[in-house]
Amino acid sequence: MQCAESLRVQAYFDGELDALSAVDIERHSGTCDECRALLNDIKQTRATLRHNLRYESAPPALRARVMRALDQESEVKSPRLQRERITSRRLRPFWQGAFSGIVGTGVAAGIAFFLLAPPLMRPLVDDLVSAHVRSLMPDHLIDVVSTDKHTVKPWFAGHTDVSPVVADFDQQGYRLIGGRADYFDHQRAAVVVYKHGSHVVNVFSWAAATGSIPKNTTRNGYHLAFWKTGDLVYCAVSDTAWDELLGLVRLLQDTSTRDAR
Amino acid sequence: MHDRRERFEAIVLPHLDAAYRFARWLSRSPGDADDVVQEAILRAFRGFDTLRGSDVKAWLLTIVKNCHLTAVTQQQRRAFVPLPEEQNVQDGHAMISTTPDPERSSIDRDEQRTLDRLISALPEDQREILVLREIEEMDYREIATVINIPIGTVMSRLARARAALKTRWFKEADGESHAMR
Repeated sequence: MQCAESLRVQAYFDGELDALSAVDIERHSGTCDECRALLNDIKQTRATLRHNLRYESAPPALRARVMRALDQESEVKSPRLQRERITSRRLRPFWQGAFSGIVGTGVAAGIAFFLLAPPLMRPLVDDLVSAHVRSLMPDHLIDVVSTDKHTVKPWFAGHTDVSPVVADFDQQGYRLIGGRADYFDHQRAAVVVYKHGSHVVNVFSWAAATGSIPKNTTRNGYHLAFWKTGDLVYCAVSDTAWDELLGLVRLLQDTSTRDAR
Repeated sequence: MHDRRERFEAIVLPHLDAAYRFARWLSRSPGDADDVVQEAILRAFRGFDTLRGSDVKAWLLTIVKNCHLTAVTQQQRRAFVPLPEEQNVQDGHAMISTTPDPERSSIDRDEQRTLDRLISALPEDQREILVLREIEEMDYREIATVINIPIGTVMSRLARARAALKTRWFKEADGESHAMR
């Protein structure tokens, strides 16, 4: 017979419960053998799945095919642009297009900055999302490839203006794969790059200029989690679910606290 | 027009990998998955102006799912006797890369293959929800959007899928001691 709480136990595991209900379920699974076993099972299933499954990205041939299809679609819609498209567009690789889009977004963000002064955080969020998307392009993800924090951390000292917390959480499912320098907000920000399953998580860090930090938000399908430790503002960006993203945030915060002691 | 295309490339195309992975798990063959992805991207482009809010990934995967359903309907109309899906256990091998992965031992690769086969043998609704939660790492609300079911159904179906996979995994492990591999 299934315990009546089993679905809530699962929701707890998936990070879908509010704090109050979570405490409730923690207490319950402390006394209910069945639910404790269930938690164990779904944890095991997840670990097996994420460890073993092939993660694939779209093959280059498909990417090219999709771009061609989009070209044709645009031609149907705007015959006047046809010739220009065939000559210039078809030869341009996808990311070049994506990049110009990002530049466009940047410009738009800049204009928005001046026009809509009060929502100050918007351009910052746009910059972060752009930087994240840019990092997903081939060869843009990492400057220093290493799974060793003792390699990544010193590298930042020479290449960025800040020295963020760097740690490997492979055991918890967040594999450190390297670091990168990124220029934004008028400084050389440090980016620590993690891999969670098939998902890249970029953790940006830069020196805090003002007291306030943006609220956690979602933009273009990417979640952005902000926090502050000492003089540094951090932002973790990924297309994982909030629960997975905040899991890494908690680990990083715990590490900072430990280091500070 | 130019501008629209560029915005599309910047906002939607970064999720092409997710669309591809999802299509691969839904479709019977890599070729089918490619067709589904291409059709989905085109539909997304045509409907780009209707995109509201920030849930780009869920929006795109919804389109992928719809394109997959359309493709399946068309295939069934063409085929005289549609194959029962659950017997098509070989399909999963398509997801395994044939090039050796230096990071993994051969035992790991065996395990990978087994798991792949087990997932491919799950009923489509269970396979789909497992992939969305565990591989695409979407939350309940996003999954509900993609599959177009209420959150309550997401919860019960996910529970069933996880239990089914676990059962099959153990059955496989039991059988292993008897069977030659």
